[in-house]
Amino acid sequence: MSDFMLKVRSPLDGIELTYGDVAIREITDRDIVSIAIPLGGTETLSKAVISAYQTELPAVGRCAKSHVDNAHFLGMAPDQYFIVFDRSGSESTDKITSKLGKTGYFTDQSDSWVMMRIGGPKSRTALERICPIDLHPTVFPEESVTRTLMEHLSTIILSEGNDHYLLLSARSSAGSFLQVLQKSVENVL
Amino acid sequence: MSQINRISGGLIDRDKTLNFKFDGRVFEGHPGDTLASALLANGQRLVGRSFKYHRPRGIVTAGSEEPNALVQLRRGAHQEPNTRATETELFEGLEATSQNHRGSLKYDLMAVNDLLSPFLTAGFYYKTFMWPKGFWEKVYEPAIRASAGLGRLSGEPDPDTYDKGFLHCDILIIGGGAAGLSAALTAGRSGARVILAEENFRMGGRLIAETLELGGMSGTEWVTETLAELTAMTNLRFMPRTTVYGAFDHGIYGTLERMTDHLSSNEQKPRQVLWRIYSKRAILCAGATERLIAFGNNDRPGVMLAGATRAYVNRWAVTPGQRIAIFTNNNDGWRTATDLTEKGVEVTAVVDTRDGPARVTPSGASVVMGGRIIDTKGRHGIRSLTLSNGQTIPADCLAVSGGWNPNVHLTCHQGGRPVWRDDIAAFTPGDNLPVGMTVAGAANGSLGLAGALAEGGKAGNVATQDIGYSRSNYTAPKTEEEAVGISAFWYVKESRQRSWLDLQNDVTIKDVQLACQEGFSAVEHMKRYTTLGMATDQGKMANVPALAVLAECTNKSIPDTGTTVFRPPYSPVSIGAFAGRSRGNDFRPYRLTPSHDWAVEQSAVFVETGMWLRARWFPQPGETHWRQHVDREVLQTRKSVGVCDVTTLGKIDIQGRDAPAFLNSVYANAFGKLAVGKVRYGLMLREDGIAMDDGTTARLSEKRFVMTTTTANAVSVFRHLEFCRQCLWPGMDVHVISATEQFAQYSVAGPNSRRLLGRLVDPEFDISNEAFPFMACAEITVCGGTPARLFRISFSGELAYEIAVPTRYGDALIRVLIAAGEPFDVVPYGTEALSVMRIEKGHPAGGELNGQTTAHDLGMGRLLSKSTDYIGNTLRQRPGLNFEDRPTLMGFRPVDRSTNLTAGAHIIAKGKEATMENDEGWISSVASSPTLKYSIGLGFIKRGSRRLGDVIRVVNPLKGEDVEAEIVSPHFFDPDGERLRV
Repeated sequence: MSDFMLKVRSPLDGIELTYGDVAIREITDRDIVSIAIPLGGTETLSKAVISAYQTELPAVGRCAKSHVDNAHFLGMAPDQYFIVFDRSGSESTDKITSKLGKTGYFTDQSDSWVMMRIGGPKSRTALERICPIDLHPTVFPEESVTRTLMEHLSTIILSEGNDHYLLLSARSSAGSFLQVLQKSVENVL
Repeated sequence: MSQINRISGGLIDRDKTLNFKFDGRVFEGHPGDTLASALLANGQRLVGRSFKYHRPRGIVTAGSEEPNALVQLRRGAHQEPNTRATETELFEGLEATSQNHRGSLKYDLMAVNDLLSPFLTAGFYYKTFMWPKGFWEKVYEPAIRASAGLGRLSGEPDPDTYDKGFLHCDILIIGGGAAGLSAALTAGRSGARVILAEENFRMGGRLIAETLELGGMSGTEWVTETLAELTAMTNLRFMPRTTVYGAFDHGIYGTLERMTDHLSSNEQKPRQVLWRIYSKRAILCAGATERLIAFGNNDRPGVMLAGATRAYVNRWAVTPGQRIAIFTNNNDGWRTATDLTEKGVEVTAVVDTRDGPARVTPSGASVVMGGRIIDTKGRHGIRSLTLSNGQTIPADCLAVSGGWNPNVHLTCHQGGRPVWRDDIAAFTPGDNLPVGMTVAGAANGSLGLAGALAEGGKAGNVATQDIGYSRSNYTAPKTEEEAVGISAFWYVKESRQRSWLDLQNDVTIKDVQLACQEGFSAVEHMKRYTTLGMATDQGKMANVPALAVLAECTNKSIPDTGTTVFRPPYSPVSIGAFAGRSRGNDFRPYRLTPSHDWAVEQSAVFVETGMWLRARWFPQPGETHWRQHVDREVLQTRKSVGVCDVTTLGKIDIQGRDAPAFLNSVYANAFGKLAVGKVRYGLMLREDGIAMDDGTTARLSEKRFVMTTTTANAVSVFRHLEFCRQCLWPGMDVHVISATEQFAQYSVAGPNSRRLLGRLVDPEFDISNEAFPFMACAEITVCGGTPARLFRISFSGELAYEIAVPTRYGDALIRVLIAAGEPFDVVPYGTEALSVMRIEKGHPAGGELNGQTTAHDLGMGRLLSKSTDYIGNTLRQRPGLNFEDRPTLMGFRPVDRSTNLTAGAHIIAKGKEATMENDEGWISSVASSPTLKYSIGLGFIKRGSRRLGDVIRVVNPLKGEDVEAEIVSPHFFDPDGERLRV
């Protein structure tokens, strides 16, 4: 048995900030696994997802929710999904494999991203300063998801409704991303 | 003196008084004033000096076309030059100073230029200062530069902040005048998402500057009523103080919103925001700009556009003079007389260039039909004007109307050309509009109010129906009849005095004629020869009259003469706005390694590698030079063990049934038979056969590999793999995803590396040399169950491993590695020691993989697969990449071991001159080797492998270095790799 232990550290140490009625919070209790569809295996995967999660795989750009592990399937590309779910003791890919078997190629992405939630009446106004895509609810309604670029940083954005957004950006530049968000909120309040 | 020219009415708040300073003098104004209107209210006619001749100049316009009233606004570091007083909203404590004079504004020493004007005509730069030749750089140019320009920058960093943003809409309406508001009504009522952008701080355009009635109410009342409806719409976004400065592809418009320029203090909020507006349709309702008529001394303070005169009187309750004369070639000019008279301002004369009956005769005014003004008098402001019939008319303000130019600029930003309309003597938008744009109102050549209201409403309906919304009910309000007739009249030929076309650049009719006479008769040539139409106003008033003069010189029509090209920006945008928040530390994002915080605690010195900040070295007490840090780190690693954060290397997870075949095709060496649990070095070629990147790829299972790339090429290699997967071989079952961020990865190198790792790796995993030999890999656990990956690979030439854990454990792992290494005197090493060790070992890196070298050049020809086809395989066999003389990678060491080699130096044979003809190669990487205790280098030299032991010269002409060096193997250290395999 090793004499040493490794402590977990999140990208932003679980930061929570409030500016008026806009809140920014790092999400640290969720895992992310990428699911790639084996060539010709869409139907098999779909069935497995329905069976294990009681939900259908979403279209690209949409999110499908499941009560199982509070899982959110994000349609990222024609042959790729991200599943975001509550973290538990076991390794994230093991957990997905236990539910979906070998119906997909799974890659742990939990440590690749910093996960932030921005919410509040002026959150969309703040995001206007950095987000090139149209976040108006008629264009980007609840459960919409897409990849975009914010201040040079690759970002995945998911609309959670009611002016709340989940943002995923690269872990290594989490500090810069936080700064970008903070500046945007400060500039519009 | 306090607002002596303030009159009744207007849209100003007289209950509040604002104090401001101009050239140090304190004045008063009111909310709703611009700096220009407040200066006029206070009787300040002289506001600046002209660019070349330093002639006294006054306010000419009431908008962004202003050529004269350019001031330096605010003080100190906040100072901004060339700010248009006509657009500057007055605020308490505003400070402005006039520009371009030596001495006081009134007594400018540089006004002597005006006396020299016969020698300073257009193009004089090109004809004078030719001799003596040596004077140009030392005398003439510095002198010209010292006197050139208008305002001055503060020379200090700009303390204001700026921001950028993105907006989306169905309909973008550009301009909040009669047409724009009508368009907003129909577009807004349809439910479409509408943005209404208006340059001014108050919506209404000419409606609030004129006295025309519509729908039984005044223009201002109609605007107020309309705004009340529009502001209640949640689908409409108002953007006053916003200039749409450019029309770009796909309905994208560049827009500048002035957020806090009108406030005394911006309270740390961005001063301006540069928006990118994405629109499905755009309706240009930018109105029209009035133009002057050229006649002798038409630039004196007090000479003003007639429309601006009305605006000052009606909107700002300011009369620009007490005795005002009018000079016009169109009916619009007469409206000025009517408005002035109604306000009780004396009109001394109306001079109309057209023959025929007078329209209205203001009481006490002389009316001269078919009249010509040939000259004006008044040193610092107009006192009188002289007609061609010899009549002198007293006036302290001359309102001039030469007709109106529709603001077609944005219609031309995508290559469109405007078309000429004789009936209004102006260019109007052509057919080739930016995609999705329509034009309405005066911008479209409909110069009357009724036309603007109708066209605007219709344009709003058409645009919304185009994109699927239903038509709105809209009836344009009835307006009084307007007479908009014009007879083109550009300049007074009878004038003997200089007649100004471009007030901002001091360009006269004679200058344009001279340009034509000297062969610069094409409109673009004329512009550059005379500078007409350049600088902040971009010739908004001057261009068309100048075209008319040029057309006359060349015996062409105005449309045949054509216009210069309209380019963004429509009006100036500060560099700060373009930079946005990308300044200082916010210039670009940073990527931090998992060990960053720990490295900061160790006082590491960092280096930028792309966006990454990497620890370069770790100074220790007593060390005074970076070489000491690096030498210690290298020597201690080679002696015992060192740890380096190599997280920045690209990591790509590759999965699929066809993953082996995929790797066989993207790598130049074979991977199909790589066993599970093994790692292999891989070299990737570009399609043209040149080396693209290198790294290692480990096989974790039958269908799963993890590839590493160089830090620099992590993104480009991933992109390349995606291209191959999606486009070249879509039939392969293979998927790639970046895992660079997923794992914190550390190199643990040195003879004690295994012993150190042995203290971390959980006991069920055997990492002995036998169980885990060189180039082995495995998924293991460390520190009691934490998942990890272990690779036995080496960049340093030592027994070495790379250990990877999920990044959440990265900070902890570096601390544990250092703690576990204490018994072995473990040393953290940075990128410089990493580089030294790889050069000692002879590993190629960025300097060698420079986009010019092949596998053969790098000494890896034997690595190339003979049994598989791969990207680059065909073109690598080109004769041009395989001739005998191609430089190949070799090692170099100085004959005199006390001398140093320099990267980038050229290799020249002994006894030959250091010329390009004698160039035999170059040094690509160098290091001062603490292991060998002398300077070593890697480089490329012709026929390198056959010249072992030869002595050549390493020449660096930039530093005057010329060092004799011996050609040796690139593997300076442990060439047989014995240390790797122990």
